[in-house]
Amino acid sequence: MAERGSQTLLFGPMKPVGLTNPHTGKRAYAVVQLRQDNREDTLRNIVGFQTKLKHGEQKRIFRMIPGLENAEFARLGGIHKNTFIKSPLLLDRYLCLKDMPHIRFAGQISGCEGYIESAATGFLAGYFAACRILGKTPLIPPATTAFGAMLNHLIDDTNVEDFQPMNINFGLFPELEPEITANGKIRHIKGAERKEAYCRRALEDIIDWTEQL
Amino acid sequence: MSDTQIHIIGAGLAGSEAAWQLAERGIRVLIHEMKPQKFSPAHKSADYAELVCSNSFRSDNHQNSAIGLLHQEMRLAGSLIMRCADAAKVPAGGALAVDRDEFARRVTEEIKAHPLIDSVCEEITALPDASFGEVIVATGPLTGEALAEDILKQISHQA
Repeated sequence: MAERGSQTLLFGPMKPVGLTNPHTGKRAYAVVQLRQDNREDTLRNIVGFQTKLKHGEQKRIFRMIPGLENAEFARLGGIHKNTFIKSPLLLDRYLCLKDMPHIRFAGQISGCEGYIESAATGFLAGYFAACRILGKTPLIPPATTAFGAMLNHLIDDTNVEDFQPMNINFGLFPELEPEITANGKIRHIKGAERKEAYCRRALEDIIDWTEQL
Repeated sequence: MSDTQIHIIGAGLAGSEAAWQLAERGIRVLIHEMKPQKFSPAHKSADYAELVCSNSFRSDNHQNSAIGLLHQEMRLAGSLIMRCADAAKVPAGGALAVDRDEFARRVTEEIKAHPLIDSVCEEITALPDASFGEVIVATGPLTGEALAEDILKQISHQA
């Protein structure tokens, strides 16, 4: 990203939006966010600084950031590969290989992205497998929930050719129904209200599912 | 364990959660994890559920964020990973960030203490055939090369 231009990082991980210096009232030119990394708060990580620079260069460059001149580095950045299968082609809706139904896939190899997304597909694979072993019919999570949206991303076969790993996002959820207002008009839900409506609908619909698991 | 009912390959976030959900439903699980005998280029610790990238699970707001919503749904569904993440939480504004060592240690302890979960340290290099019974492959973005090649071989006639 930094290679693209000297200002590129200002619009990415170093974006100063919403961070006004309380002492001066000025907005910073660029910011580096240090996030607490352990309970004792003896480790901090630099937010958004994924890099494949050589380790020596990482130390040299990051120590040029004001305040980090004497930083000790507990862990340096590295970019690794991302192996995943073409799930929408290969898996059925219970995450089994269509051709080898005793094999299920879960986690990032199945084409989700992110920690909790991985855990959620692990949850589903575990639950579906338990149902088969116990002779029960598995319940598919409602499509309106985050569980359901994540599962749909992996198995929706309209998506086979350009399948790419994805974090959970509202684009994976079914459209919201427009509201009918008191005077009978159709009103489409927009903006921040839209996100809240997705969440409200999901949390209502998930209860039916979790209660029967 | 001779009465294993399901094999799980990989004890990362997906494999650990899958193992827990199975065991909580009364099923005997055998986890195959190659650490600490063999490490991927990104993994360093012997613990399960090792976070190799950020320590943040992103927004925890379940009123307006899709990932925060997934956190909440996972809690409602009885997720082990979310319970351990909440217990290992460190301050991060509206995000859920964790002490990564504490988080991994909690997951590992819970899994190892479960009477229905057993684990073996070994690298699986090929997709198990149907004689193994049920299998969950949760080997992550850094799946071992031998297994990745075998998966490709077994599925390539479809791709």
